[in-house]
Amino acid sequence: MYRYDDIDATLVAERVAQFRDQTRRFLEGTLSEDEYRPLRLRNGLYIQKHAPMLRIAVPYGLLSTRQLRMLAHIARKYDRNYGHFTTRQNMQFNWPELKNVPDILADLASVEMHAIQTSGNCIRNTTADHFAGIAPDEIDDPRAYCEIIRQWSTLHPEFSYLPRKFKIAVTGSPADRAASEVHDIGLHLKRDADGHVGFEVLVGGGLGRTPIIGKSIREFLPREHLLSYLEAILRIYNQEGRRDNIYKARIKILVKAKGVEAFRAAVEAEWALIREAEPDLKLSDAEVERMRAFFKPPPYETLRDIDATQGQSAEFKAWYRYNTRAHKVPGYRAVVVSLKAHGEAPGDITADQMDAVADLADRISSGEVRTTHDQNLVLGEVRQIDLLETWQALQALNLATPNIGTLTDMICCPGLDFCSLANAGSIGIAKQIQARFSDFDYLYDLGRVEIKMSGCMNACGHHHVGHIGILGVDKHGLEWYQITLGGSASTNSALGEVIGPSVGKEVVAETIAKILDVYVERREEGEEFLDTVRRIGVEPFAEKVYGKAH
Amino acid sequence: MAKLIKGRAHALSPWMLAGAEGAESATHLILPLADYIKAIEAGEPADHRAPLLKAEDHDLSALVPYLAKVPLVAVNFTSTGDGRGFTQARLLRERYGYQGELRAVGKIRADQMFFLARCGFDAFELLDDEDVATAVAQLDRFSVAYQQGSGTLTHPRRRYGG
Repeated sequence: MYRYDDIDATLVAERVAQFRDQTRRFLEGTLSEDEYRPLRLRNGLYIQKHAPMLRIAVPYGLLSTRQLRMLAHIARKYDRNYGHFTTRQNMQFNWPELKNVPDILADLASVEMHAIQTSGNCIRNTTADHFAGIAPDEIDDPRAYCEIIRQWSTLHPEFSYLPRKFKIAVTGSPADRAASEVHDIGLHLKRDADGHVGFEVLVGGGLGRTPIIGKSIREFLPREHLLSYLEAILRIYNQEGRRDNIYKARIKILVKAKGVEAFRAAVEAEWALIREAEPDLKLSDAEVERMRAFFKPPPYETLRDIDATQGQSAEFKAWYRYNTRAHKVPGYRAVVVSLKAHGEAPGDITADQMDAVADLADRISSGEVRTTHDQNLVLGEVRQIDLLETWQALQALNLATPNIGTLTDMICCPGLDFCSLANAGSIGIAKQIQARFSDFDYLYDLGRVEIKMSGCMNACGHHHVGHIGILGVDKHGLEWYQITLGGSASTNSALGEVIGPSVGKEVVAETIAKILDVYVERREEGEEFLDTVRRIGVEPFAEKVYGKAH
Repeated sequence: MAKLIKGRAHALSPWMLAGAEGAESATHLILPLADYIKAIEAGEPADHRAPLLKAEDHDLSALVPYLAKVPLVAVNFTSTGDGRGFTQARLLRERYGYQGELRAVGKIRADQMFFLARCGFDAFELLDDEDVATAVAQLDRFSVAYQQGSGTLTHPRRRYGG
């Protein structure tokens, strides 16, 4: 993984000192609440319902075991023994005290971590495919480019006060596992006819109040021009993005208003000028190779693929089928650590679990752990002969729930329980669904069904792109839930369609059950839930939920 | 009265914003861009007139022909969170080669000094409640940077060359 040099370490240390000074001035009263707010926000610090919430950057979802142990330490020392992984691969702590935050940041800096730009109207953590570097279908490892983008975007003097937040995702495979089409910029690595590496560039995707799928504005951007092209997009956005209405300030609104062709033309014109004025932004092959070297795979043993499940229990077989994934190297597999145990808040992990996962990753994987945008962890380099031991270890930690890709592998925001923006709870609904669908045979029969749930319009839980989306709404002080069907964040993303009026808090799981009944009744041989919805439309589902006369 | 920092020092300025109290008797006037061009075309003294850029003035081409004789460009920040002035500054310095004084005015904050300087500003009109020493200290907040940047007030180290 990437290791800090003197430049990186100095920058992060100076950022800690800056934040310590800003917090001191705030606590002394020389910096007002209004002035302090944007400063703390660009360091990931929100003031939430109960306490400040601190969001820590996990660049492109990659953690060393040393870093994971530091997160465990922070959870114990400054929080309530647990943390929460977000849909942008970051970690959130819900209970730190404001006065301790500079010390937390100093602890993070000691393991090459920070909370820079995890919030605020600036360029946020760049996310990537959690199977980067190990996926059999990969064109190139996105993480080297993510790190290049991380550095370019960190404390960028021109783009630190954008109209609104700005999120970039990079994928290295044709199969999009980073929800890149619903990011402000989605970059898809590809090769041209001559084998040169570059990117297709998508702009203007996003969820929130106005969900939009990103539009391609460049078929192929040679990799050496990555930063000059990003700078051109950001400059057009910084100048022309709306600042009069927070709900219309994302780049998606600008692209829509200007028209994708006009937007593309403006970017291309600006890009031509930037390339000339800032030759410095051009990436040399040497620099790209230097970055790529940080993400070199560990030395693999020469192994053959084995049938790891032969003679094993049905439980192990189920776990193998649902919680492990193919690896590009024979004899290895990727293991998904499920943070979706029934009865627990999706994405939550205790300090003890963090330490134990770190120990396990040191022992049977590469000493690295990946975080996924669907709020699980991945051990990327597990020998197939170690899978049984891995399963047993994870089972003992309650991290082996064999539900990855099934209905209960839900994406869920913190909701009304923690977030001051939320209109409705989401963790309670997740638990209601987990309890209603606790029969694994039924879950397996249903196959791949993605539930994504947000407690408000801001869509942190990506509800628009859930096969089943659940949006919490407030109606006269009561929590109600709007259901959408047919969304997808995979390649060729789609937005879900609302099936009808929102349903009451007590009947969310029951409503999901009715929807699934329709699927089971109407599916064709081998047809997945999403395909059935696409084939028959939402009407039959609505009829079941609301009755014929709805 | 706003506090002006030029370079790294508290400074006094003869420049007054047109329309401000006492501007009638001022010798050096800062005018909105369109008014500035009219004034110069009408033969008013070029070394006593300066343009004020508003955040929405993102097309600077009207100003470019005059830049060689402009002694001062003021860039107005209508709110602390409005970052358009950062782009205007870089364009003036890097694209149009403007060498004169570039002054940030309006709702800028001490904690923005480093970014302002990195974009090419070399003069800062602070709000009344800001402390000059605190603001100047922010110029040295970072000794390193990833981006090339503009301006001469800060000299952060970079991984490769200048």
